[in-house]
Amino acid sequence: MSSSIFNRHLDRRTLIKGAAALGTFQATSPFIIQARGETPIRMGMVDPLTGVYAAPAGNEVMGAKLAVEQMNAKGGILGRQVELLVEDSANDVGTGVQKARKLIERDQVNFMIGDVNSGIAAAIAQVTAEKKILHIVSGGHTDSITGKDCKWNVFRVCNTTRMEANSVSNVLFTKYGKKWHFITPDYAFGHTLYEACTDDLKKLGGTVTGNELTPLGTTDFSAYLIKARAANPDVLILLVQGSDMINCLKQVVQFGLNKQIHVAGTQQELESLAGLPPEARVGIWMFEWYWKQPGVAGVEKFVADIRKVNNGKVPTARHWFGYTSAMSFALIANAQKTTEAVKLAAALENFELPDDVKLQPNKVYYRKGDHQLMTSAFVGEAQSKGKDDPEDLFQVDEVVAGDKTAPPVSETGCTVRWPS
Amino acid sequence: MTQLLLFNVTNGLIIGAFYVLMALGLSLILNLSNVINFAHGGFLVIGGYIAYTITPYIGFWGALLLAPPLTAIIGLIVERVLIRPLYGRDPLYSLLLTFGLAFMIEDGTRFIWGPQGKPVTIPPFLAQPLSNDLFFITGYRLFMVAVVMIAVALLFVLLRYTRLGVRIRAGTLDLETVAALGINVQMLRSLNFAVGIFLAGLSGVLAAGQLGLEPTMGTGLLMPSFIAIIVGGIGSLPGTLAGGLLIGVASGLTAVFLPAASEAVIYVLMAVVLLLRPRGLFGEEGMMT
Repeated sequence: MSSSIFNRHLDRRTLIKGAAALGTFQATSPFIIQARGETPIRMGMVDPLTGVYAAPAGNEVMGAKLAVEQMNAKGGILGRQVELLVEDSANDVGTGVQKARKLIERDQVNFMIGDVNSGIAAAIAQVTAEKKILHIVSGGHTDSITGKDCKWNVFRVCNTTRMEANSVSNVLFTKYGKKWHFITPDYAFGHTLYEACTDDLKKLGGTVTGNELTPLGTTDFSAYLIKARAANPDVLILLVQGSDMINCLKQVVQFGLNKQIHVAGTQQELESLAGLPPEARVGIWMFEWYWKQPGVAGVEKFVADIRKVNNGKVPTARHWFGYTSAMSFALIANAQKTTEAVKLAAALENFELPDDVKLQPNKVYYRKGDHQLMTSAFVGEAQSKGKDDPEDLFQVDEVVAGDKTAPPVSETGCTVRWPS
Repeated sequence: MTQLLLFNVTNGLIIGAFYVLMALGLSLILNLSNVINFAHGGFLVIGGYIAYTITPYIGFWGALLLAPPLTAIIGLIVERVLIRPLYGRDPLYSLLLTFGLAFMIEDGTRFIWGPQGKPVTIPPFLAQPLSNDLFFITGYRLFMVAVVMIAVALLFVLLRYTRLGVRIRAGTLDLETVAALGINVQMLRSLNFAVGIFLAGLSGVLAAGQLGLEPTMGTGLLMPSFIAIIVGGIGSLPGTLAGGLLIGVASGLTAVFLPAASEAVIYVLMAVVLLLRPRGLFGEEGMMT
């Protein structure tokens, strides 16, 4: 009998090498959404379509696609059709940068959108600045992007971490108490959000009982929660996001910690609340955009349009980020009648978004000085079940204007340097 | 401080018990078939999603009973179609195959169920902590540990006292002689693979009750399970059991003193074990070389 059907030599080194490969290998799956047109305008979009942020990234892409469809139906940009080219950053900085370079150098994109992950967004901004491509950061929140590392070509739609903290700190302090304990994701976004929250807390006269830095992609939070509980805080502040938020909040509620300590945080997303069982939808948070805004112009139509392409589900803040990012390019390029990046960047300063794009009550504009969109914070409380709609999982108590939550430009550390 | 340490040791044992369930399935497949199954986390996710899908019809308990065998059937098909043709080849072939398969399963679940996490509710009486102080010991976590203990006990009974188990153990030591004695080796491998995937499916149902159910859920749980096998000793199921518990406790204890290193510590532990005792804690010399 031949011995070939039996096991070949497998040594321990092979197993360990294989295990190492699992830890380092990154998957990539590019795809392109084509539109008609002879010489189309190209928008590049880099977002983590795989990994822990796959859900928010997918929604940003869906929002951007809707915007491109709508602008093409109205004649595109400068009479040319628009193509959206989407690349997966796989939630990895190196991959994200490589994909951004590919979009710029090979595909010759005119504009760039991305990324959900702050670290990748900041790294891509280096590339777009070097290549003089107008870039809108759709969903990476860390302060430095429109702070000390700001660039003439980079604008941002989502809030800064400082804006998120400022919108909700006061409410948490007044309603829940003055001793806060943090569960913080251990990367750029988490670090700046933690700093912003603790600065606010100190100003209000409160104390920090501790900070648990958790690696991105943590599955079991019990060890951190044991430490947090031992510190006996008034409020447990969860700064983690995505599937980390779901895992953490689910465990907090199963441990009954929400009955002993208040559980809350800053940024909360519909993607996370929808992924939680009803009993775990608790706490005061801020949303960056919410789909239920009775009487606000354009919102109902936007919700209906997204439902058509999203299996009947409502848009989240991420859909709006993608939509607004893409629409901003079209609005400013058509107004200025050019695609020249420096001119468009200058024109975007203090550019106010129209009603059918801003989709919220307050004035919304890209602030001159740091290029941060002054967008509102929707402060309120998670609801275990929607009253009229199963996806109405958040009760908005207050919509705070962006220029009330954002620190003045002089405090952001941003000095925009224009190319000579 | 003593209390905090004690809490974390207990907590680590609970987490470790879960790793054990994953690692035993991996270990079974590795020992008999020399297949490093990188898709094991994927099968865990499949188990979780099957449970999520059938729960509305047959309830949590029905899903707990039915989802693991359904996952095992999918495992059997995968083994027959994809893995069997590679048995005679270098183990790297099956390693690469299952590596790709892991991504396909992740994207497949994303395609079928969507990228957004799914809410899984467990029976309310299990979702309660035992007491205010011992809040981290919930009914569900105790239940998980009990399921792991039963599964481990059944597995050991299967391997020790049944004909299939004796053949699997014999095959692990010398597959050629087992075949020469007239035993259908292909069938043996298939059944063994199915048992391994059954354990992955069971882990998936249990994990879905405690973690968010989403397509990437398996990735974070797979690595500690591999390390449990390496630390415990390749080829030794008791070693896998000890390895799983050990890394759970190490990870929990590190979280008290140096939280940032609580994930890295399991790799450090692996490095130290490999340096001092390259065969792993319970591994036999020459077992896999």
